[in-house]
Amino acid sequence: MSATVAAPRRPSALRMMLRDTGAAVSLVFVVLIVLAAIFAPFLAPKDPYETDLMAIMQPPSAEYWFGTDGQGRDLFARTLYGLQVTLFMGLASLIVGGVIGAVVGFLAAYYRRLDGLLMRLMDILLSFPAILFGLALAAIFGPGLTSVIFALSIATIPLMARIVRGAAVVVMGLDYIEAARAIGMKDARLILRHLAPNCLSPIFVFATLRLGQVILLGSALSFLGLGAQPPVAELGAMASQGRNFLFIAPHISVIPSVAIFLVVLAFNVLGDALRDALDPRLRI
Amino acid sequence: MTHLLEVIDIAKHYPAGKGAVKAVDGVSFTLERGETLALVGESGCGKSTTARLVLRLIELSGGTVRFNGEDITALSPAELRRFRRKAQIIFQDPYASLNPRLRVGDTIMEPMEVHGIGTPAERRARMEELLGLVGLAPYHAQRYPHEFSGGQRQRIGIARALAVQPELVVCDEPVSALDVSIQAQVVNLLKDLQARFGLSFLFIAHDLAVVKHMADRVAVMYLGRIVEVAEKNALFDNPRHPYTRALLAAIPHPDPGRRGHVTPLGGDLPSPLNPPPGCHFHTRCPFATEICRKDDPVPTGGAHSVTCHHADTLPPMGAAYQGHISETAVRRLALYAEASAARAGAE
Repeated sequence: MSATVAAPRRPSALRMMLRDTGAAVSLVFVVLIVLAAIFAPFLAPKDPYETDLMAIMQPPSAEYWFGTDGQGRDLFARTLYGLQVTLFMGLASLIVGGVIGAVVGFLAAYYRRLDGLLMRLMDILLSFPAILFGLALAAIFGPGLTSVIFALSIATIPLMARIVRGAAVVVMGLDYIEAARAIGMKDARLILRHLAPNCLSPIFVFATLRLGQVILLGSALSFLGLGAQPPVAELGAMASQGRNFLFIAPHISVIPSVAIFLVVLAFNVLGDALRDALDPRLRI
Repeated sequence: MTHLLEVIDIAKHYPAGKGAVKAVDGVSFTLERGETLALVGESGCGKSTTARLVLRLIELSGGTVRFNGEDITALSPAELRRFRRKAQIIFQDPYASLNPRLRVGDTIMEPMEVHGIGTPAERRARMEELLGLVGLAPYHAQRYPHEFSGGQRQRIGIARALAVQPELVVCDEPVSALDVSIQAQVVNLLKDLQARFGLSFLFIAHDLAVVKHMADRVAVMYLGRIVEVAEKNALFDNPRHPYTRALLAAIPHPDPGRRGHVTPLGGDLPSPLNPPPGCHFHTRCPFATEICRKDDPVPTGGAHSVTCHHADTLPPMGAAYQGHISETAVRRLALYAEASAARAGAE
């Protein structure tokens, strides 16, 4: 997703990335899972919530591609819907946390007198593990997807703020920012038109890598029972539900776990490739 | 008639530990309409800081800057924006001075948008006219900065500065990042534009050949202060301050036999964090005496102002350097003149 957003500006970056086989494969994979998640209702052969007590814990077969779970629900359908929920959770928290973090980072870089205060606040946020935010929010608002999204957003804010501040401080030192000030434009215009667009590369790279991390953390929170509640299909929660049958029917846990693994791996490889492609120093 | 620009005793001190770095420490000068004042000096002497103080791109630690008689140090943010329409800047590094993500046309139109000049159609027409003025073509407006060479980018920077029809343009080493043949084109372009629009230039440079070609008057800076100001020819023919002499003597000479008797400067530029007492230059001055170590000299001499205790008693400058600038510089000046003539012939 991120790669295609960055592509029109720098056509060579996309081409650079596709030269790397791993990156090309992960890009295709990411596009496929995103499409699969969006079109889950059309792709799923069965209702993911329909239980069939006559067919519980079925191994993968021609009828049930990924088998069935302890209540006889089709795991293929649940995995598709689970991808939808998991990706939504990841994207929502990335966007909320990323936007707030980016605003903080730009303000800290542009108004140097706010810098110390804002970044120390970010350091404080950074000192809490994301799981702790999840526990706290689940305790306050009750477990659920919303709590997880808030927890992950909060955990993303300081990371994004640091990345953005670092990039923006460098750009602030360039002559075209001074030229913009000499023209006499207002701060908002300067930040939106001159500062922010020139900080996009590191933001995209970080966002892609962070999406993988957030999905992993969110699945962990769901696995612990703090996130999506049954019967909602969510990959972490599905893995958790299958753990009672680990020795009888391992596929119930393993399939959603492998799905999480592949999604996170794809975003990590993509993020790394994006960083290499956008960093001109690494260009050969 | 007031001066276009009157700078009175401006200072910029950066706090550093217990003391302060006195980047600019009591600089005064004036600039008339249509005039070019060159500010020369070695790296770190405060030239660029002075330029930015004059435009109030950084806040002053002291002193006053009057533009058309109006004290710009006291302007409100709204008034400051109006002032920015009258005073613009051209940068040294043509690779850092253009936003890489804006099309060239948008970069040039932006100052007009910010100041609400004209309708979108008028701004576009004016932008294309500006591109023509600086020797580019209207179709260049659709391109991004990375598609241009250094000299072309510098022309774009000039077009941006002229978009709001300023009276004063600060040129911060506008040609030092360009190679010599391109320098000639850009320097002549600046002169043409000055003649055409009656611009005043505050021209920062360390290259004396460029200064000799561009300037009407020259101010020499050393360690945050101006040590000598004079009409260009007076300064080159009869440099009065020992530092100015050293600067002129330091221009490389192709014939070692013609090297004069001016002793090259020893030592390094003292730290502006802890400048020497008395005359700032005394640590490196071959003529320094007791008084130089104690008392700050004051500018004397009216139109050819020099800040030196011994200005009147110094021996005349070595004959080899009388009115001399090096042959390479002479060749470059000839090149500039040639380019200028070719340009005039073409029109």
